[in-house]
Amino acid sequence: MDSPLPCPRCKAPLNESLVNRSDLAPCPACGTALQVEIYPALFRRFTPGRDGEAVVVETESSCFYHPQKKAVLPCEGCGRFLCALCDCELHGQHFCPACLESGKKKGRIKRLENERTLYDNIALSLAIYPLLIFYFTIITAPMSLYIALRYWNAPRSIVHRTKARLIVAILLAGLQVTGWAVGIFYLTTRVRPHA
Amino acid sequence: MREKEYRRLTRSKSRSIFGIVSTARSSLWLGQDHLLGIDTSGYTETYKRFYFRDIQAVILRKTEWWKAWGVAFGAGTALFALIALLGGDAIVAWIFGSLAGLFLFGLILDLAAGPSCACCLRTAVQTEELPSMNRVRRARKTLARLRPLIAQAQGELAPEEIPARMQAWLAANSPGNLTPSATPRFVVDDPNAPPRIVG
Repeated sequence: MDSPLPCPRCKAPLNESLVNRSDLAPCPACGTALQVEIYPALFRRFTPGRDGEAVVVETESSCFYHPQKKAVLPCEGCGRFLCALCDCELHGQHFCPACLESGKKKGRIKRLENERTLYDNIALSLAIYPLLIFYFTIITAPMSLYIALRYWNAPRSIVHRTKARLIVAILLAGLQVTGWAVGIFYLTTRVRPHA
Repeated sequence: MREKEYRRLTRSKSRSIFGIVSTARSSLWLGQDHLLGIDTSGYTETYKRFYFRDIQAVILRKTEWWKAWGVAFGAGTALFALIALLGGDAIVAWIFGSLAGLFLFGLILDLAAGPSCACCLRTAVQTEELPSMNRVRRARKTLARLRPLIAQAQGELAPEEIPARMQAWLAANSPGNLTPSATPRFVVDDPNAPPRIVG
């Protein structure tokens, strides 16, 4: 490997004259104008992970998952003793792999959450788009109402978002459902077949 | 009032060049100790966190898309303006004049945003394209906001130490200098089974 940093276009190694400049400079190989900013993390060496020390005295506390290894700390999720190998550090907190996995799945560890469903957007879309072909709203309006009410307390976007979309969806879908109910009631009670 | 956890860094931009018809969008948000990339399909959001202490490099590559869009908008403006002028009918003139106005508006926006670029962010485990930083001027503004935060997390690289650091990196990563732990040894016990890593 000739350089820690290749050109994003031609993959040719970039030399130090190109980095941390305030203007664009051409790649020596392909001539693409580049601005490259590097930070100390680029040169950081990674230390291999620890594998845990073996238990030498029988009375020593041992890892829950590896009974032959010495416990170094308890898991902050379940309290089980962990060896250095099982200790997963996450921003100063220590978890066992099982708690980390379940925390991610159940959304308990917010920093591991990597996907959310936007139920407010779904409810609002179901309340608005089918209006283009009004007849669909007999199905979509109740669906929108159900989603808005069922997921009223579900987490919305990770970046701040109010319940405005859910409220608008409920109002619109409520109006559509009322409209259908009034229409059906009118048709069934007022319009009589000709004798 | 509760302080917001994330502040918007870039407006959401389409991941594809046909942003008008695509619903997949991407935006960047600033967290306390990380940059949050949000990719949304409209109904789901996918998050990627880039911690300031892990960001190794940001690379801007100037692209020519802004010129292509400029030409397309300019051609559209000229074509519709011509039809509006030569059409004769007042309704035709209004319709095509409005279309020409729309294209002209697009052209003005494109030129005002300035040259386009592709921006990628590199960490030890990935190189991620940041579609929301698609104009040089906007990308530089964003970088200017990120620089002090990254420096706070990692420290700063003095310009004079960069060549020495690069040389040291090259020396450490040349094939002869790889440590035994970096080159796992393996044993082939059975020719029909995968090798077994030892040591």
